[in-house]
Amino acid sequence: MRLRFTLNGEPQELDASPTASLTEVLRSLGLTGTKEGCRIGVCGLCTVLVDDLPVSSCLFLAPCAEGRQVWTVEGLARRDPAVVAAFVEHEGMQCGICTPGQVVMASAARSELGAGAAEAEIREYLIGNLCRCTGYQSIVMALGSVVAG
Amino acid sequence: MAPAGVPDALEALGAESSVVLAGGTSIGLLLGQALIEPSTLVWLGRIPSLREVAVEDDRIRIGATVTVRELARHPVVRSRLPAVATAAGSVGNPRIRAVATVGGALGHADPRQDLPPALAASGATVEIAGPGGTRRVDVARLATGLMETVVAPDELITGVDIPLPEAARGVYLRFTPASAADWPTVSAAAVSRRGPDGIVTDVSLALGGVGPTVLTVPEAGELKGSVAPSEEDIRAVADAAGRRCDPVADRLGSAAYKRAMAAVWARRALQACLEGAGRS
Repeated sequence: MRLRFTLNGEPQELDASPTASLTEVLRSLGLTGTKEGCRIGVCGLCTVLVDDLPVSSCLFLAPCAEGRQVWTVEGLARRDPAVVAAFVEHEGMQCGICTPGQVVMASAARSELGAGAAEAEIREYLIGNLCRCTGYQSIVMALGSVVAG
Repeated sequence: MAPAGVPDALEALGAESSVVLAGGTSIGLLLGQALIEPSTLVWLGRIPSLREVAVEDDRIRIGATVTVRELARHPVVRSRLPAVATAAGSVGNPRIRAVATVGGALGHADPRQDLPPALAASGATVEIAGPGGTRRVDVARLATGLMETVVAPDELITGVDIPLPEAARGVYLRFTPASAADWPTVSAAAVSRRGPDGIVTDVSLALGGVGPTVLTVPEAGELKGSVAPSEEDIRAVADAAGRRCDPVADRLGSAAYKRAMAAVWARRALQACLEGAGRS
């Protein structure tokens, strides 16, 4: 099927299988910051924004992207450099595999949670982004500084 | 394919092994695990009528492709259907709630899902369109087995209709020993209604995770008729829930453990909905 959507602010048109996941589509375009992890929407490695909300691109099928605004970690790093800077400042990463997903969630959290968000709300928001190094404290701190703006 | 209306969608669903696609969180899972091989995916994202929410005096109708996130945040749902709002806000994680739909949550019919027990306890009915017209089925009677429903292959869930009774109080509790975003070992939704004199006129209880389908517990209705049902009576209903459930052992607990937890969380949900102060 022919698929048209906006990717990191630019119009995109390509052929995709109707059963392809958005993860596959994005990675085929060389955007490998979006990782494939659990493939069941649990781990958060494949998080991207669709119309400003975070989604698991592994469970987001190509036809559902038609006409929508998709942002990957690569585009968000350019659009919201302060989010990446917060992860650097707070050392919000260990091995790094979960980091792109955490960065995308942080970018979404700024609009979703707002400046007054309590730490408990931030932790709740990150419920589906697993860090198997268990480096959560510094990730939560990075999100806290992003949300506080 | 992306039909522009329900009639076109129904026609497409008449074809052999075509499958409905809405948010894709269930279909994506099933495709990813090679559990389905659809000939056609009938995407509902181009049908505006399925995205509508209509509020009337005594009921709210939620279109099938309204997302779980939108349901959890709807002001009427939050103020009048707290069990449904809590259950919707407990589904998976924010990424799942952003795309998963109410119709999908019903059609998927995994007994561990959060929404169906809350909708069943709230007396909701599912609207199902088919070649012969539209029919309505109680949410409590929608699932016939593990991931099996009364919805025929050529039918489509178009919405859910939830009563908005006066003086109702609802709670939804979920318990899991795994990570907070994991499936519940057991979930319990309880809804009570009271008359103008404060006397309890109706109590509904539904459990998730402890059988092939959502379990409704008719004994809950025995708690009506007084202002404050006794602790003993509540325990009797909770114990009945434990006896009625039919759990299977998995990583979330042995069958015996789940049965014991079903009674515990049924009791807590009933207590909260019958004794707690204010809507919860």
